Amino acid sequence: MKLHLPPRVSPKAFDAMLAASAKVVGKDWVMASDADRDAYSDVYAPGSSEEWPAGAAIAPASVEEVRAIVRLANEHKTPLWPVARGKNLGYGTAAPRLAGSIVLDLGRMNKILELDSKLSYCVVEPGVGFFDLYDAIQREKAPLWLSVPGNAWGSVLGNALDHGIGYTSYGLHARNLCGIEAVLPDGDLVRTGMGAMEGNPAWHLFPFSYGPTFDLAFTQSNLGVVTKAGVWLQPAPETSLEIVWDIPNEEDIAWVIDTIAPLKISGLIDQNVFVPSWLGKMVLKGQRKDFWDKPGAIPEWRVQELLKQYKLGYWQVALRLYGEEPVVRARAEVVKAAMKRHLDAAPAEHWWRQGDPIGQYETTMGVPSAVPLQMSDWIGGRGAHMGFSPVVPATGHHVMDQLKRSRKIIADHDVDFYASFTIGGRFANNINMLMYDRDQPEMVANMRKLFDALIVETAKAGYAEYRTHLGWMDPVADTFGFNNQALRRMTEKVKNALDPNGIVAPGKQGIWPAAYAAQRGGKA
Amino acid sequence: MTRMLSRAVLFAGLVLAGGSAVLADPPPMMMPPYIVRPEAPAGDRLKPSGDGKTLFEVHCGYCHLVGGMGTNLLTKQRMMMGETPDKGLLANRTDLTADYVKSVVRMGKGAMPAQTKVDVTEAELEAVSKYLGKAG
Repeated sequence: MKLHLPPRVSPKAFDAMLAASAKVVGKDWVMASDADRDAYSDVYAPGSSEEWPAGAAIAPASVEEVRAIVRLANEHKTPLWPVARGKNLGYGTAAPRLAGSIVLDLGRMNKILELDSKLSYCVVEPGVGFFDLYDAIQREKAPLWLSVPGNAWGSVLGNALDHGIGYTSYGLHARNLCGIEAVLPDGDLVRTGMGAMEGNPAWHLFPFSYGPTFDLAFTQSNLGVVTKAGVWLQPAPETSLEIVWDIPNEEDIAWVIDTIAPLKISGLIDQNVFVPSWLGKMVLKGQRKDFWDKPGAIPEWRVQELLKQYKLGYWQVALRLYGEEPVVRARAEVVKAAMKRHLDAAPAEHWWRQGDPIGQYETTMGVPSAVPLQMSDWIGGRGAHMGFSPVVPATGHHVMDQLKRSRKIIADHDVDFYASFTIGGRFANNINMLMYDRDQPEMVANMRKLFDALIVETAKAGYAEYRTHLGWMDPVADTFGFNNQALRRMTEKVKNALDPNGIVAPGKQGIWPAAYAAQRGGKA
Repeated sequence: MTRMLSRAVLFAGLVLAGGSAVLADPPPMMMPPYIVRPEAPAGDRLKPSGDGKTLFEVHCGYCHLVGGMGTNLLTKQRMMMGETPDKGLLANRTDLTADYVKSVVRMGKGAMPAQTKVDVTEAELEAVSKYLGKAG
């Protein structure tokens, strides 16, 4: 990819920044060739990856190096785009919101600083991936489980900081963060919570600061560069039971939500319960053309044929309980009785006990896998996806309202419907997976129109996305319009106070510093 | 991206029907166990290292060990070409050249994204490509 410079930065000034940075991190960790820029582009970009081009990448190895690079960026007025491991597939990968930004790749900062089995937490740097942490736990035989996202190739901190979700009792990943260290945009270094006191051993155990608590202000945020954080982990349970129901009909999702959400809220179910539609299973069985070889959406009659042929329900609930066996058994009876009021068919049950092997796709047991990315092969070619991900209250009424609306909009654009709901308690994350071949411009253009329509229509109904791709960060931010965008105005006041040069991740989640205010709304 | 797999999906068997390839669900016990990768070698990642196998397992093992995403897709592709399923594992291939491995790692291919020099350094890639490039 050719060099795109950030606004108002000359080639000479850009080179001066890179040369100065090489003295900090070493010349091999300043990456600015055309091939390097390609490697930091959005591999799933809906359109040309040159819409969100990185100018270069710099990879520091320590907090002090991060501080030095941030100070240099202020001096040279070159914006930085921090990434943990840069694997945010579907939301922009490692690519920056503002063209020409220098990716600050924290992948080399990959130390596991603490792993504590007694109080079940770890302290990690941003470059620690889910696989790295899982492997370290296995090597130490530590009685700890992770919570992993569908694509676990990425960073533990990166995923939590971007509000990623998993499918265990610890599935709301940002909530697991406790005690953050961050480099501020002027190069200063802060520690939140009890970490604000030198040497306080409760830093990663008590979740509040003395005074305002800023931990979550560093998530989906451009207020600083997180360089380490505590992450709470699940103690390995004595047993676990997975109970699987195939739910026959589309409209059944309403009673499924109304049955499970109260049990989740009461604490009887600990897990984030994932309810995918049938296509979530089909994408792993082959390619789309194996099942339907025409370009438009798979028609309903063919969907029904496929469900019958492959013995799939329209939805599947694979619910998992964790704990001592008598407790799990008792909880299972309550859950099964509640489900039986709506569905006669007995569920499949899979027990696991300490010492039993754990398969490598057991996402609900915290095993990391990149296999869900196989869905990129469904469409074929340079397959890619984006997720349209609104949050709705966890009631059948709200879920059906959202389902019907997005279903119609997706059908109007002649695209296959692939939805899931993850019940996180009082809310459900609804992820609508939109898959496309990057080399089919008409298909990509249709997806973009579809994405625009989903945001607008969903916002009209009062719901918003919890996370989105780079190209829609501004439109989604626009949907949060209470009192003339009061929250955005407040965040930008804080941003401008902390970052007068606007050098940390300008545009992240629609927060634009004054220095780049003119870029708001631009595609890149 | 956020979604998961149910337990019994994937990979082991291929059902060839009407010229197309459809992956069948294996019974749950066929799900391969998790494979713990070796520890990354200590020392300067920019210095040449001879241990291509370890570096391959550390840096490529997310997808290219038994049961990984890359292995699953490549198994299907190789079988469509009339080869045996074990050729889905890159470590079992005898037709790869070192230059081809380097090109795919840096440029990406199909579902595989290009790898940055933080993902795998030039020195590490040199060792990995020698290990995988059994055809020269």
